[in-house]
Amino acid sequence: MTRLVVVSAGLSNPSSTRLLADRLTTAALDRLPGAEVTHVELRDLAHAIADNLLTGFPSGELAEAVAAVAQADALVVVTPVFSASYSGLFKSFFDVLDPGTLEGTPVLLAATAGTPRHSLVLDHALRPLFSYLRAVPVPTGVFAAAEDFASPELAARVERAAGELADAVTRRPRPHAVDPFADVTPFAELLG
Amino acid sequence: MQFGIFSVGDLTADPTTGRTPTEQERIKATVAIAKKAEEVGLDVFATGEHHNEPFISSNPTATLAYIGAQTSTLQLSTATTLITTTDPVLIAEDYAKVQHLVDGRLDLMMGRGNTGPVYPWFGKDIRQGIPLAVENYALLRRLWREHTVDWEGRFRSPLQGYTSTPRPLDDVPPFVWHGSIRSPEIAEQAAYYGDGFFHNHIFWPPSHTARMVALYRQRFEHYGHGSADQAIVGLGGQVFMRKRSQDAVAEFRPYFDNAPVYGHGPSLEDFTSQTPLTVGSPQQVIERTLGFREYAGDYQRQLFLIDHAGLPLKTVLEQLDLLGEEVVPVLRREFEALRPAHVPSDPPLHPAVLAQRAAAQQDEEAVA
Repeated sequence: MTRLVVVSAGLSNPSSTRLLADRLTTAALDRLPGAEVTHVELRDLAHAIADNLLTGFPSGELAEAVAAVAQADALVVVTPVFSASYSGLFKSFFDVLDPGTLEGTPVLLAATAGTPRHSLVLDHALRPLFSYLRAVPVPTGVFAAAEDFASPELAARVERAAGELADAVTRRPRPHAVDPFADVTPFAELLG
Repeated sequence: MQFGIFSVGDLTADPTTGRTPTEQERIKATVAIAKKAEEVGLDVFATGEHHNEPFISSNPTATLAYIGAQTSTLQLSTATTLITTTDPVLIAEDYAKVQHLVDGRLDLMMGRGNTGPVYPWFGKDIRQGIPLAVENYALLRRLWREHTVDWEGRFRSPLQGYTSTPRPLDDVPPFVWHGSIRSPEIAEQAAYYGDGFFHNHIFWPPSHTARMVALYRQRFEHYGHGSADQAIVGLGGQVFMRKRSQDAVAEFRPYFDNAPVYGHGPSLEDFTSQTPLTVGSPQQVIERTLGFREYAGDYQRQLFLIDHAGLPLKTVLEQLDLLGEEVVPVLRREFEALRPAHVPSDPPLHPAVLAQRAAAQQDEEAVA
């Protein structure tokens, strides 16, 4: 079964970031029937994320969210734009993941902002971040300024991006992550 | 089973007074703590090794030899010796010297160190941490087991006709533990050699400990050193005690809230449930500690961290009194009662190896 995880970093409630995340989820599910969806709402994990930055390990619900992201076949990530980039909370969540967690995972990038002048944040901030994390961002990102919620073009972009995400999942199933504890390197190899 | 304490040697302001001890005060306090550990009936004192502020734990062999001169039964150890950035030739020489001075009361725990700049300061690269630990330790083993060593590797200058002096006391190399929080390669290394594995078991969730110890045990058996439950395991632990639980919590909270590593993060209550930290009465410490064997199996050495985060010496000595009087005697009894007969109580330290050797000689003579 395909596991779709939706990470949303909106801070208000109701949140336009969550609204966009939900639209993307619905569109992705139309193309990935039967997929299991997990929502990760970063606002609820904000304290745990700060704790993880200090202690080096995720606790409680954050540990569950990290595990869900690690096992995801596809990700939808949505951040509000703060000071011309992703929000600090959004970045901090990806900062606490172990290296390699997102390797090979198809990702749909999305952002919301108060003004359309931030639209390049997807390609100038999010795309390099997810390339660094060795995820596989799909070509179409979805940016929604407040006024886009009145535009039919938003729906078209949502559909196109969701289609690309579904194609990526179907075309290239995510490689199975290696468990270094189950598949230990024999010491003779380490000795060289 | 051995019980003791391990110290990282941090120089931290006491948050209740704002006063930071001088380096000399902290260094002398470390000695006082170790001596007190012996006095109250604990078995082991282990010192950390750091080469940066705010720590006083550089040059661990000087500290251990000095403590060794003022104690008579206390086992001296490290937590950890930096096998990555320290020349294994110097480790071989320095620790063999201490081993002689303290009549064999010495073992070591190998660790990699996680302070980025320390690696380049000693001419190394932190990204090579595992290969350094593997190669350096392989050389260290040879230096203690072979009289004359020819050697060439990736990380230090080659050796031709080198003999490490002094030779290990009675030709018994110090027992070695390998410590790592979550690198499977180090559990594998400990298992390969049949050395001990120590999990620091503080500041991190027990799930890390369980996974590392399970891997070590499984591989220990794989390499033919005995059954998995006979592997030599040590665990850390962090405690703060008062007779009444609420007094312990109230007194420790400012130290917890301002501690290096985890301070200003999770609450004391959260951290207590997420990690092995126990703040409460001696009885609570006993119960929590006895629970460690449920995920780590029956083990051979338990070390407690009791002297960090700016706790004053007087308080630390009171903790040792509680450990010695109320906690450790019960733990000894309870752990031994639970331990199956075929699982060793203690790590194979110097006297045990000598006794084993004498027994083997007798057998040979009997056969002859």
